[in-house]
Amino acid sequence: MNNLKKVVLAEDNSTLSLLLKFRLEKEGYELLIAEDGKEAIELIETHEPQLILTDIMMPFISGLEVISHVRNKLKVQTPIIVFSAAGQEEMVLKAFNLGANDFMGKPFSPNELVIRVKRLLA
Amino acid sequence: MIDFQHLLTYLEQLPLLVKVVWILIGFLIIFIILLIFYLKYLRGYLRKKETISKKLFTEYEANLINFLYSQTEEEINEEQQIIVDKMKTCITNKFKRKIFISVMSKLKNDISGEMADSINNLYIKTNLINHSITKLKSNKWYVITAGIKELNLFEITNVFEQVKKHENHPKQEVRNEVQLYFVSLFHFKGLDFLNTLKSPISEWNQIQLLEILQKFDDQEISDITPWLKSSNESVVLFSLKLAKIYNQFQIIDTLLELLNHQSKIIRLKTIEVLNYFQVNEAKKILKNNFKNSSEDEQIAFFQMLENTVEITDEEFIVHNTKHVNFQVRVLALKILKRLNNKKLLDLKNKATNDEDKLIFNYLENN
Repeated sequence: MNNLKKVVLAEDNSTLSLLLKFRLEKEGYELLIAEDGKEAIELIETHEPQLILTDIMMPFISGLEVISHVRNKLKVQTPIIVFSAAGQEEMVLKAFNLGANDFMGKPFSPNELVIRVKRLLA
Repeated sequence: MIDFQHLLTYLEQLPLLVKVVWILIGFLIIFIILLIFYLKYLRGYLRKKETISKKLFTEYEANLINFLYSQTEEEINEEQQIIVDKMKTCITNKFKRKIFISVMSKLKNDISGEMADSINNLYIKTNLINHSITKLKSNKWYVITAGIKELNLFEITNVFEQVKKHENHPKQEVRNEVQLYFVSLFHFKGLDFLNTLKSPISEWNQIQLLEILQKFDDQEISDITPWLKSSNESVVLFSLKLAKIYNQFQIIDTLLELLNHQSKIIRLKTIEVLNYFQVNEAKKILKNNFKNSSEDEQIAFFQMLENTVEITDEEFIVHNTKHVNFQVRVLALKILKRLNNKKLLDLKNKATNDEDKLIFNYLENN
């Protein structure tokens, strides 16, 4: 039986997704990658992950909509870390209001992300 | 065969103009057929190129990630050297080089720390740096811009002099990129380009530069006085923004001198900064200049008086309650309400103008 903690990563930058997948898998997590919000919601509903990492700006469904879906429709309290770019401060506030647990501004250090993931999943 | 001969005979008998039209139609049909074949070929070529591009992108992405995760304490280990050598060969091809740079840029924009440093290292080790430096010598402005952008993204500071040569380039896009390079890599020291800049800094670039500056931990700004005295108007306007953001109280005397600047926009922005600093000394100069000032400056001065008004300003304010500009009149009465409400009521009783009565009613209820 697979006991690895599942993490859904919703990020449209494929290179960053690949980098984080390698990094987090090395730390013992199972990474499920979505290229957009729509795919992320499908993965969350199917796999019920222990943590969600989501970018704010994504095609089809934004990160904010993903958070709203998790908190208001699925009604689960899975920890959510939001990635935001410079100039998206208002979006970050909205993300927190919707129920995000933490945020990281891009560019961010993958090592710092691992620390935050570990803290939330401890 | 008989039909064909019949057709030729028929064509020969036609008037010249009709013959020409038929020949043109023939040529057009051939041209359209050739064009269809060409477009079909082009579509196939572009699709093939896109497929190759996607394949290479995935391959280079994996190479880059492997390079980053092979990092040990050594500057570059054997495994990394294999990747470097492989990429060195690949990037001799312009198409492949473009894809590799886009893979690296995409990741570099989103990560920081040790991994970002490793990407910079890879950029140097694969000799991509030399390609970027070569771009600086191009005659095409967009090639130079791309070169500077790459050098900035991968934090190459030792090409400062080569980049500096383009600081007064005729194309604004190149100048913007040069300025971003200076400030991103040399922080406040990078603003020294303002000493020699002859062309304007675009409004958008000013915003970008200020945003970059605010990210740095060290917020020690150099003396901005020479820039406030610059003959380049945009440099003065940018320096006024710096003065406000970085609370440069020590340059107030220079700001007071700028109240007599020949440019209206500089005078206006100076009043706004002086208002922010609440400089009382400015009021005397502004009162003396008031009559000859533009309406925008007069409004800005009254907005300043809202924050700095004193009892000695009453006479000047009362005088301007009859100003031709509606906004100045409202501001004057609003300030007077705070300063001397009795005087305001006197003026209200004497008011004959319907517009003024409306202002008095508004002030009474607000």
